[in-house]
Amino acid sequence: MTALAHVLEPWHRSARATAGLYGHFIRLAFLKYLAYRLRYYTGVISYTIFVSGYYYLYTALFESRVPGPDGVATMGGLTVQEMVTYIAVGWIGRSFYFNNIARELMHQIQEGQIAMQLVKPFDVQAVMTFEAAGESAFRLLMFTLPISVVIVPLFGINLPEDPALLGWTVVSFILSLMVYSQINFLTGCLAFYMKNISGVLRAKMVSADFLNGLLIPFSFFPEWFQTAVGFLPFQAVGYIPVTIYLGKRPGNELWIALGIQAAWAVGLYLAGRVVWKRSVRTVIVQGG
Amino acid sequence: MQLEQRRQRTLAASIRWQMGIFGAYFAQFIKTRLAYRMDFFVDTFGVMVSIIIQLAVLTTLFGKVTALQGWTFEQVLFIYGFSLVPLGIFNIISVNLYQFADRYLIQGKFDRVLLRPVNTLAQVLCESFNVSGLNEIVLGTAIVIWSGMRMQLEVGALDVLAVLVMGPTAALVYLGVFLGITSISFWIEDKMGIAPPVYNVIRFSRYPLTIYSLPVRVLLTFVLPFAWVAFYPASWFIGEGNLHSVAALTPLVGLVVFSGAVLLWRRGVANYTSTGS
Repeated sequence: MTALAHVLEPWHRSARATAGLYGHFIRLAFLKYLAYRLRYYTGVISYTIFVSGYYYLYTALFESRVPGPDGVATMGGLTVQEMVTYIAVGWIGRSFYFNNIARELMHQIQEGQIAMQLVKPFDVQAVMTFEAAGESAFRLLMFTLPISVVIVPLFGINLPEDPALLGWTVVSFILSLMVYSQINFLTGCLAFYMKNISGVLRAKMVSADFLNGLLIPFSFFPEWFQTAVGFLPFQAVGYIPVTIYLGKRPGNELWIALGIQAAWAVGLYLAGRVVWKRSVRTVIVQGG
Repeated sequence: MQLEQRRQRTLAASIRWQMGIFGAYFAQFIKTRLAYRMDFFVDTFGVMVSIIIQLAVLTTLFGKVTALQGWTFEQVLFIYGFSLVPLGIFNIISVNLYQFADRYLIQGKFDRVLLRPVNTLAQVLCESFNVSGLNEIVLGTAIVIWSGMRMQLEVGALDVLAVLVMGPTAALVYLGVFLGITSISFWIEDKMGIAPPVYNVIRFSRYPLTIYSLPVRVLLTFVLPFAWVAFYPASWFIGEGNLHSVAALTPLVGLVVFSGAVLLWRRGVANYTSTGS
């Protein structure tokens, strides 16, 4: 009887085995994307095209701006050189933290594979988060580094004056990955309630790039809109790391910024748990 | 017997016959989509949000300057709106091109296409439509009209005719470029290919060409001729006078690009060997 209870007790694992299990998913995701690495070569070209497009748009914009009393045109507190850096670092970071968890979750729910995920002895949200980490580890090597090698010299991007800021930018982008993967997980959970969320995903992607600050720095926005985006998690994805790189967060502001990111990462993870628990109850898998 | 009768049809009759078939294709497609009515609204939502974001970007940027290298807000908006119309037309008919290499060549659906006595290209294009492209056409037109009214453009009958000709022929530029790229997959088997980076160059066509450096302008005019999608045709209405006659070349460019792609497609079809599946 006691032996049977032992068998039935769910997920009876040592902490080490659990760590090993989830660590395995990082490795698996890395290997999975390694098989598709060819796709990322064209991605390098695409990202260079994105950055070039905004480079031309913003340089034209700064040239049309009336210069300040010191003869330098600034906008939203940025010079044209800082603006180009802003765009380049923003897109380089995006090449690292980006993932498609929401779409994956949608496919699993639509095709009923979610049933198999639910049967297995692990926490689906944690697995997807670790897979996102594995994907990003892959992207860092095969995507972010090649892109940096192309974009940094092409647009003459300078390192931050204080080299330590480079390190903090990296830390900040890792937190971006956490926030972004949880936003995606929550969006993917919508597929429990709607059959087709591809339009929602498309809307989310473009609006996220906008609300991230990837397309336009927040400091360009009118006051009321800056306040509004300050309440959203998206600033923790794109805007904070780039402003850290540019040295716009001196002293204590750096710690506050990183704290905001960490708080969103934890908060959204917990929200994801709650939503997941509720949503799973609604699942009906037909056959399979 | 029937085959011989078909051969004797005149060109006009043949075109009418083929058009009837593709009308039926479209009717069938609409019927299958009606089963998923919600999808249309969900996709519409996606398109609307991306257009609203783009308008927000332009509005924010023009909050900082009075003109973008001499181009006013209304002029830039006019070009952006104009670019949406060919994009919408292109999006409606081109969904199958994107997946062509994978679905038709690798999975072997192209064998079936070849067995039918109808134009192969038209079959591939008409087997699937992306109805949400209608949103781009409608919203693009609305943006063009709104910015045109703000600029107090005087529009005559000739101008209306010009738009009606230039809009669809500008879409031929998109279609031609991507058909050309798709045709390459007859020789090089590659699931994704070079289409995504080229697709991303489309965004360059939203803004006035003069903001780009000379090499980029040459590229967009002659190599990936996306400048003919919005900037040149829109210059019929706006900007310096010396580009007005250039705008009239749009239909020619569209036809040349598209014809070149069709020739490449035909060679590709002749070169096709089935995977046997």
